[in-house]
Amino acid sequence: MDIKKSIILNLRWHRRIGLSVFVVMIFLAITGFALNHSPALSLSKINLTSDWLLSWYGVAPQRAEAYAVADNWVYGTGSEQLYFNHQPLGYCPPPLAAVATTDQLIVALCKGSMALLTPQGLLLETFNQVQGLPANSTGLASIDQRIIVLGEAMAWEFDPELLNLSAVDDLSIINQASILQPATLPPTFNSGDNSQGISLETLIVDLHSGRFFGDAGVLFVDIVGLLICFLAFTGLWAWVNHQRLRKQ
Amino acid sequence: MHRLNFKALMLVGAMLLTPLVSPLVMAKGVYQSGPDFIAQTFAPETPKPGVLWLTAEIRQQAQNILDRPVAGLRVRYHMAGSKTAWILEEIGKEMPITIGIVIHQDKIEQIKILAYRESRGGEVRYPAYTAQYRGASLTQDMKLNQNIDGITGATLSMWAVNKVAALALYYHSQTKKTD
Repeated sequence: MDIKKSIILNLRWHRRIGLSVFVVMIFLAITGFALNHSPALSLSKINLTSDWLLSWYGVAPQRAEAYAVADNWVYGTGSEQLYFNHQPLGYCPPPLAAVATTDQLIVALCKGSMALLTPQGLLLETFNQVQGLPANSTGLASIDQRIIVLGEAMAWEFDPELLNLSAVDDLSIINQASILQPATLPPTFNSGDNSQGISLETLIVDLHSGRFFGDAGVLFVDIVGLLICFLAFTGLWAWVNHQRLRKQ
Repeated sequence: MHRLNFKALMLVGAMLLTPLVSPLVMAKGVYQSGPDFIAQTFAPETPKPGVLWLTAEIRQQAQNILDRPVAGLRVRYHMAGSKTAWILEEIGKEMPITIGIVIHQDKIEQIKILAYRESRGGEVRYPAYTAQYRGASLTQDMKLNQNIDGITGATLSMWAVNKVAALALYYHSQTKKTD
């Protein structure tokens, strides 16, 4: 094959490969640039919480355990925070098992601790297992302005003044007690928890490597990588041929 | 012969590693319940709990001591004569440490770690460490007047205990004003 035919063939393939990987190369360059400067751009601190994205990653969106108290919402989130409407109140190990109210008090039962709130949603204090909350507390009920802590086949009346529990002898009173049922938290309150999310850095890494689209995506990026190598060789070959042609 | 040597080596290795690993394994746990701690402190008769309401001034000073905002509007304590007992919590690294503090005549009489939930740093619960706080009082700038020797690997837990000790002394001083 003479040199002219070789140049034409080489340039033809260089052009074809260049056009086929053009868009992907630009995309890889931009994502690579972003990852290179990830700390400066704080990409790892940007949390993406779209339901679609979480379901794509197989992370089930965490639903808050919520209770409607008058016109307010008391709810616990996956970030182990207790909220009163939009106000974070403090540490509340999930699940938020129950909420009970009297005229003076709102009581929320988390795993291993209870939070005592004012009706306005201010945290008064907490009462945990070290302070005497029974480990097998499963729920709360209220009757005649009294708070009842429910356990497995047991119940205790809670004295919020002395932080004291006394066993309830007659368990039949629970049948007359009011027990708040969990409800679906309005979507406007979900913003309180962004712990369950995918960081923008993770998303870009997965897009850059093709992992976002599974094994096929990784294979595709591998092929694009090989084509880019091929593009470099055809470019080098074109330059060598050009030099040979000039010498002739 | 070689197999015997290998077994002996494993046994010696396990014996050497056991003291290193066991404190990590045993670090977590509840060592004494709050009611038991209070009952033991005030035996034979446990006083009823008092309430210290956290006014804006107390809250601000508590925030200065802890380097973080204080949660809750009130704190419980037990009091008999000039002795008060407090059960307070502070986060070491990630999890809260529950600490019982007894104060008598403005000085720490006893500190006891009631519950430790972190995976490392549980050495602060040892009596040899907590005994260092005995007799400590509060300086003008809200620090302990005694030097507390640290423990390698338990620095954050030690800081938490120091802060809670200072906070309890400050709260104790405020109970006199509310009486």
